[in-house]
Amino acid sequence: MASLQDIRRRIRSVKNTQQVTKAMKMISAVKLRKSQERLVALRPYAGKMLEVVRRVVGRIRGDVEIQPGPAAQAFLSPREEKRIRMVFVASDKGLCGGFNANVAKAATAFVKECTSEIVHLDVVGKRAVEWAKKQKLTPAKEYLNIPLVGFQRVVTEISESAAAQYHAGEIDALYIVYNYFNSAVAQTPTVTRVFPMEVDRRGEDRNATEVSHLLEPDPNTVLETLLPRFVETELLRNLLESSASEHGARMAAMDKASSNAGEMISKLTLTMNKIRQAGITNQIIEIVSGANA
Amino acid sequence: MAQSIKLEVVTPERPVFSAEVAEVQFPTATRGYYGVLPGHTPVMTEVGDGLLYYIQEGQKHWLTVFGGFAEVGPDRVTVLARESETMDMLDLERAEASRQRALKLLKEAVTEKDLANAQAKLDASLIRLQAAGHPAGHGF
Repeated sequence: MASLQDIRRRIRSVKNTQQVTKAMKMISAVKLRKSQERLVALRPYAGKMLEVVRRVVGRIRGDVEIQPGPAAQAFLSPREEKRIRMVFVASDKGLCGGFNANVAKAATAFVKECTSEIVHLDVVGKRAVEWAKKQKLTPAKEYLNIPLVGFQRVVTEISESAAAQYHAGEIDALYIVYNYFNSAVAQTPTVTRVFPMEVDRRGEDRNATEVSHLLEPDPNTVLETLLPRFVETELLRNLLESSASEHGARMAAMDKASSNAGEMISKLTLTMNKIRQAGITNQIIEIVSGANA
Repeated sequence: MAQSIKLEVVTPERPVFSAEVAEVQFPTATRGYYGVLPGHTPVMTEVGDGLLYYIQEGQKHWLTVFGGFAEVGPDRVTVLARESETMDMLDLERAEASRQRALKLLKEAVTEKDLANAQAKLDASLIRLQAAGHPAGHGF
């Protein structure tokens, strides 16, 4: 049986660990709130953006005189997917439960099942880089330790180049694999096609009653500038979802760790008390039997 | 016929402005300023950098807008701006500091790209200063 001192040392060490996990939980809660605020702030913009895209697409589809340019094709008639670009988003740090493992599993499954060739891979987060290494894939670009305010720059970079690649015919689609933020305690690994985008036809019927829009200077120019903006917004939303998910997952993991440490401390304390009591009892017996003799 | 226009300005960071107004004018990327009165024909166009004004209860108010899209309908104007500020959100000191920085960058610029970046920064700071009625902005 372990000695009294060993157990005391053990309790002290578990207590220290508990303090660390508690602090991490608190930090994650604050970060989660920040990511969530950004996500909520983006929602009206993203909603309006989708509305505008729908209107423009409805307009172009409804008018036979307009020759859709390459950007319009991205929305109207997607070409066959032969080469795709993929963005994989995980976290930089660990200690967040199944967050990275789950999304990596989804990404691996996607890569395996995907019939088209992945010609361009972007990875966000250190864990994503490790995943790529394991899969023997070479990322075209690695984004590491991106702060919340740096997301805008990252998505602008990706969307501008993706739109250019689409125009040049180098890629036929852009996919993103990330954690969707269900709630603070639940995340779903998700694979989404950012573009070509499937425009909901139901949305168009509603707008058909309206006078159709003049597109200035001309429909194709509008779509060409609209496409990267739209992709940017979607990517930004996905990155924020992933960030919120990460902090949520870490918060949940650290909460569990803290309560486990608490349980361990109470178990160890019980054992320690038992041993101490056993020692005292032994001593009393010794004294009593010594006095009797 | 609609009597007023619902002006909405949103950026990826936050909804900036939303209210019923009588008249709106905003800068476009390719075709100069675009003025909108109630009952305007629906138009979709790219927004440039500059000042947007709206008239509300006979008063002219200004907003800064930087890039994005505008969707105009008979009773609404929706601006999806990359960046935008109301006068209350403007930080004069920051704009002035950014102008100084841009001027310095402009002098040091070597490549075409540096030059374009510095010029864009300078323009943005001048627009902000002009919006706030700062003397430096009026040379713009």
